[in-house]
Amino acid sequence: MATLNETIHQPVRLRIMAALVTLEPTDEVDFTYLRDLLEVTDGNLGAHLRKLEEAGYIAINKVFVERKPHTYISATALGRQVFKEHVVALEAILKNK
Amino acid sequence: MAKNDHHLAVSPDEAEEALAAIQTIAQKTRQSLSSGGTYITLIVTGVVWLVGFTCTQFLSGQVVGYIWTGLSIVGGLTGAVMGLRMGKRVRSPLTTQTMKRVVLFWLFVVIYGATIIGITRPGDGKQAVLFVVLFIMLGQLAMGMLFSFSTVWWALPVSALALVGYFFLPGIFYLWMAILGGGGMIALGLYIRFRW
Repeated sequence: MATLNETIHQPVRLRIMAALVTLEPTDEVDFTYLRDLLEVTDGNLGAHLRKLEEAGYIAINKVFVERKPHTYISATALGRQVFKEHVVALEAILKNK
Repeated sequence: MAKNDHHLAVSPDEAEEALAAIQTIAQKTRQSLSSGGTYITLIVTGVVWLVGFTCTQFLSGQVVGYIWTGLSIVGGLTGAVMGLRMGKRVRSPLTTQTMKRVVLFWLFVVIYGATIIGITRPGDGKQAVLFVVLFIMLGQLAMGMLFSFSTVWWALPVSALALVGYFFLPGIFYLWMAILGGGGMIALGLYIRFRW
């Protein structure tokens, strides 16, 4: 049976994961784009990304593009799996309403 | 690894709220990334066709050539700028690996198209336009089939519209292409942008 995930359930982290799993598994999204998409501050997003990275749900890739530092984020296979299970668990709660 | 709390208490209302938030952000992401390039391509190409074909219908000679050249440059530059902007938002190994092949493919489409037009020597401007439109739409379809771009199906109705105009409305063929081809692409682009 699918279980709820405490780390993912936090509203900002839930939206981060929702955005990342919408991408193709091989794609990674720019930090500033994710920040604008979620309408959060740099600090807030950074803190939640760290939590997700520590959990192994996302991968953070820091690179230089045209001599400027860029941070790219993607969901890991584990992150996709636990997010999927979390959604199933949420749907189960609604069904049993 | 973070802990999974199997006893996390979530009420049905909270679950509903969370699922709605997931759906909203997933839709927003799809709109801005997956279909972002498509709607811009459609609107830019639509404007180029609308202005270009309207001018072809009512103007003549060298002026039309200059207008098409200018429009093609503006359209190409806009597409390139938008492509670069999209590329900075999302990095995809697939895109990086295949980009050279995509460019080569379109180069071959242009070379083959120009060769066929050169050999067959179309009788009038309409035939040449139809050749070019069909070649571009064929290329667009090939892109969709090879790379699973979800929103390239518009190439089929545009091809069909071009054929209908060519065979049944030769007197207003260019105007037909401007309004239905160009206008249709703009309308579809706006639909994808605001309603997708």
